[in-house]
Amino acid sequence: MAELTYRDAVAAGIAQEMRRDDRVVFLGEDVAAAGGVFKATVGLLDEFGPVRVRDTPISEQAILGAAMGAAMTGLRPIAEIMFSDFLAVCWDLVANEIAKSRYMTNGQLECPLVIRTANGGGSRFGAQHSQSVENWAMAVPGIKVVAPSTAADVKGLLAAAVRDPDPVLFFEHKSLYATKGEVPDDDHVDELGKAKVLRRGDDVTIVALAAMVPRSVAAAEILASEHGISATVIDVRSLVPLDTRTILTEVVKTGRLVTVEENPRLCGWGAEIASIVADECFYDLDGPVVRITTPHIPLPSADHLEDLAMPSVTRIVETVRTRMD
Amino acid sequence: MDIVMPQLGETVAEGTLTVWHKKPGERIESGDVLFEVETDKVDTEVPAPAPGVLSEILVEEGETVVVGTKIGILQADGEDAPAPAAEAVVETPARAPEKAENSPAMAGKADAAAPPLSPVVRKLLAEHGLKPSDVTGSGLGGRIKKQDIEAHIAAHIAVMGDAYSVDGEPPAADRVIVPFTKIRKRTADHMVASKATSPHVLQAVEVDFHRIAAVRAAKGADWKAREGFSLTFLPFIAHAACRAIQEFPHVNASVDGDALVVWRDIGLGIAVDLGPDGLVAPVIRRAAGRSVADLARAINDLSSRARNNALTADDVSGGTYTLSNSGSFGTLITAPIINQPQVAILSTDGIFKKPVVVESDAGDSIVIRPIGVLAQSFDHRAIDGAYSARFLKRVKQLIETDDWSGALA
Repeated sequence: MAELTYRDAVAAGIAQEMRRDDRVVFLGEDVAAAGGVFKATVGLLDEFGPVRVRDTPISEQAILGAAMGAAMTGLRPIAEIMFSDFLAVCWDLVANEIAKSRYMTNGQLECPLVIRTANGGGSRFGAQHSQSVENWAMAVPGIKVVAPSTAADVKGLLAAAVRDPDPVLFFEHKSLYATKGEVPDDDHVDELGKAKVLRRGDDVTIVALAAMVPRSVAAAEILASEHGISATVIDVRSLVPLDTRTILTEVVKTGRLVTVEENPRLCGWGAEIASIVADECFYDLDGPVVRITTPHIPLPSADHLEDLAMPSVTRIVETVRTRMD
Repeated sequence: MDIVMPQLGETVAEGTLTVWHKKPGERIESGDVLFEVETDKVDTEVPAPAPGVLSEILVEEGETVVVGTKIGILQADGEDAPAPAAEAVVETPARAPEKAENSPAMAGKADAAAPPLSPVVRKLLAEHGLKPSDVTGSGLGGRIKKQDIEAHIAAHIAVMGDAYSVDGEPPAADRVIVPFTKIRKRTADHMVASKATSPHVLQAVEVDFHRIAAVRAAKGADWKAREGFSLTFLPFIAHAACRAIQEFPHVNASVDGDALVVWRDIGLGIAVDLGPDGLVAPVIRRAAGRSVADLARAINDLSSRARNNALTADDVSGGTYTLSNSGSFGTLITAPIINQPQVAILSTDGIFKKPVVVESDAGDSIVIRPIGVLAQSFDHRAIDGAYSARFLKRVKQLIETDDWSGALA
């Protein structure tokens, strides 16, 4: 175990997989010589050299086109899209090619590709560099969608994504890069499609993803100490595949579900979970499912507006507290 | 809110309002008996659908009106005074006996005045046989929350525990709570309903089984080799009972209102123990006239399928008389509970060798005979002790004197 930042865990995860498997290559804008704009890939060029760790032109289509071809012809590429907002530039490759190649070739082509990208707000980057777009990805059949909230999960889930035979969209959260946590040193592989129960309570089940996870845990602690409400908090970690078993089991125990989502409200991932819960455990619910989300707006860049738009610890506490009766 | 004549049973078209329990202007709490209705099937007390004030009576005592007729007006709490034209018509939930098994569902029925019940609260109320009015709600506007029911149940268990615990020790530590399975719960409900419905009378006769024992001794081994299961006393007893039923058909019947429905065929129920889960009584249809061998095979088939959970709905319906067999455990006598809507049930208990006095022309002598008790519980609404006793005497006579040697041919 070593204490690493979320950002260092990215490099540690990539390095672990590149050491293990010569077919793993890494490419993206400013990822090699500069070590990434978020400094999440420092040291990889030095260890693995310019053939396996490549800087690319500023062209998301070139990055994903090259990565897709490499994946289809036997490599296990990791491609970086610097800001997840820019996935829109190369979405045809993601949604129409990468996600569908196995299906449309009847399995003749595999596409074992990991697309890493920095997602989410809180960094005052404005409406085009702050979006939480995990719900775009979740809407496309054929890709797996992962969004870790801790350094250990970054390393373990990144390794699992690289070893997966199908394309995985890996959302790192910009505002978590500086957070620290214990990360296993050696070969560390987690499992895709498993949610984590971070704490258990009797009154309400809070389901959160990525940067909303530490906020939900902090809110749960305040709810317990100041309001006598004990909350279960689940880190979803993987939207596709989705660990419905864990979510349903915990919702049944408390009879209440609150989702905490950074994505804009319409068609956010929490809506899908609310739908599954209503369908599968309606008779165990003791109140309406409540979704706490960013409103359906472009994210503002002004500090106080951005803070107001994204679900905060205070908003989570207040919403849960007032919806418990 | 309008109060209407409730539908008390599917086929009931009208009801007579016999008693109003409240006068106009009187305060009513939810669940208070509001009025009584008499139909051709039942007399029923009808509770108030919501708390409020009875503002008007439209149908007087003694009047007969069709189902759905507006019979009064309830000024429910929170409802605006003199009702506007488009007010909701709320059917009063009936507390009719024939709806008794559905009563938990009533708990979920929307109550116009009370705060809404969440899905899990409805489920828990039904599971624990509680009414919303039993539980104090701590939520918004007095809404009952899941935790309120859990607290209610915990308090209830604690109260029960206090009665048994010694030295005021915490009640939870000294016991294990085993939730009823579905079949256990059905069994429990059925037993309570049967005892509540039928005045049970137990009668028993001592029977000498030596003739049947002789047949089993002579042919049991062959039978087992051929059929694959043991030849017990039960098919012989079933055979004797079926023949006696044909002479005393009123034990093979059901009570329906003021009449006894006597069945022409015998649907012979065989109670089968399923361990802690409960029991079932699958039925041998058209049991009259069947041979002992035929009955033996049918009993074996039903009981093995019952234990393998492979009975169909048909197997457990159509029973008209039931045999309960505790004999293999060596019991002396069992007072069985009638399998509703039947009117009698026969228990066969252990058969043991005993010294008995046998009378003959040469004088009395003591011999060793296999003796067992046959005990019948009957519904005293349907038949009387003398009838039941004559039936039992006939069963005993058939078992003791019939020539059973050709029974397996």
